[in-house]
Amino acid sequence: MNKNDMITMATGFERLCHWSLAISCILLIISGFGFLFKIEAIGAAFGGFNSMKTIHNWLGVVFIAALFLSAAHWLKHALRFDGDDVRWLSVGGGYLSHKVKVPPMGKLNTGQKFAYLMVLTAGIAISVTGFVMWLIPENKQWVLLSFFIHNVSFIMIGIFIPLHLYLGTIANPGTLQIMIGGKVPYWMAKKKHPKWIAELESGKGGHSA
Amino acid sequence: MARMGLLVSPELCIGCRACQVACKSWNQLPGEKTKNRGGYENPGDLTPSLYNRIRFVEAPSDKEPLRWLFVNQRCMHCEEAGCMQICPSPGALYRTPEGAVASNKDKCIGCKLCLAACPFNVPRYDDKGKCSKCNLCVDRIANKMAPACAKTCPTGAISYGDRTEMIAKAQKAGYQKVYGQADLGGLGALYAFKDGPKLYGYDEKPQISEMLVFWHKVLKPLSYIGIGGVAAAAVVHYVAVGPHKVKEDDDHE
Repeated sequence: MNKNDMITMATGFERLCHWSLAISCILLIISGFGFLFKIEAIGAAFGGFNSMKTIHNWLGVVFIAALFLSAAHWLKHALRFDGDDVRWLSVGGGYLSHKVKVPPMGKLNTGQKFAYLMVLTAGIAISVTGFVMWLIPENKQWVLLSFFIHNVSFIMIGIFIPLHLYLGTIANPGTLQIMIGGKVPYWMAKKKHPKWIAELESGKGGHSA
Repeated sequence: MARMGLLVSPELCIGCRACQVACKSWNQLPGEKTKNRGGYENPGDLTPSLYNRIRFVEAPSDKEPLRWLFVNQRCMHCEEAGCMQICPSPGALYRTPEGAVASNKDKCIGCKLCLAACPFNVPRYDDKGKCSKCNLCVDRIANKMAPACAKTCPTGAISYGDRTEMIAKAQKAGYQKVYGQADLGGLGALYAFKDGPKLYGYDEKPQISEMLVFWHKVLKPLSYIGIGGVAAAAVVHYVAVGPHKVKEDDDHE
């Protein structure tokens, strides 16, 4: 393969899932923030708190559907750990300095794997507890527990999103392209994801497409 | 303005339920068909159109053949109100200048979270899915009138006034411990119980769920710092370390 050839890192379906997740998640965070901190302006932007509740609930359905569909193609990459991950952690992933040599990574680096697993866990927790409050509001013990877990998951996702937005865009030029066009130049993929490329080329297939 | 309060004295109550009637009359709440449950207590629980009622308690007694206690059950207008802490819609549950916890049905979004947060099992939901509960006759008290229940009570079992004076009044009547004096930051409805609160159907120590308090007092403020901190960290990182540009030529370092 020529070094300037483009290689597909995210299929159309993966990108569709990601954008569904992204849009629903951001709107859920904004409306959820409006509920938790009782912010009139956010309520007004959603047409009042009554309609914001309806929108929040149904966006939750979109979110969990997109989360599960994403897991179908991303989870397998996030569950593979080896010695390189330990070495990656010991050099802080190279995030704190561009001079350190970062061990070779697969399709996801160690930090991405942990972040994904954290968000997947928080995403499932926030969805399940959301359904509890929505569907069985009269069960006091379950609702109180769910309210708490829902809010803790909200904080976890709320911390992840700004980090993810930053690292996925201006901190790592070229990354955003994966979620727009789905392709990166071969040389870049080989440099950032050498183990994944090696797998791809050895015919084991690291890609679902 | 000074916090106002109700003083409920079960020892003075004759169980006439004029308070139930006066409340319905003033707040224009419809009558409801009830069931004969074999006692005088009726209805058996608060409903969306029954904001206060008399609980009839038959208590065992050594001295008398029977002790019959009449207790006015209602919203307690807590200072630290669980319902207000959990409610996600601004203005749906609000504090009046007199210290009452009032509800605005137009702003209620029907999520029912207040059901779970109330330690006294007070909020009810009407057929339009809106929170419905005692608001201490918000329109009367704003005009310096006593709530309908207190105004109508023929024996003084429910009285309304400056909360500090209500406590003093109970103490003068010989009740050293007034229920609700310090609970949940001080209740707006104070009870002069002759015996332990349990006998009258109230918790010894009413509490809001610890999880709700922990969220409200600790995690909620921390979440501001957490989310803001991450955004700030990203800015600092961009300035101090800068973006990671992948260069083609450092392929074989």
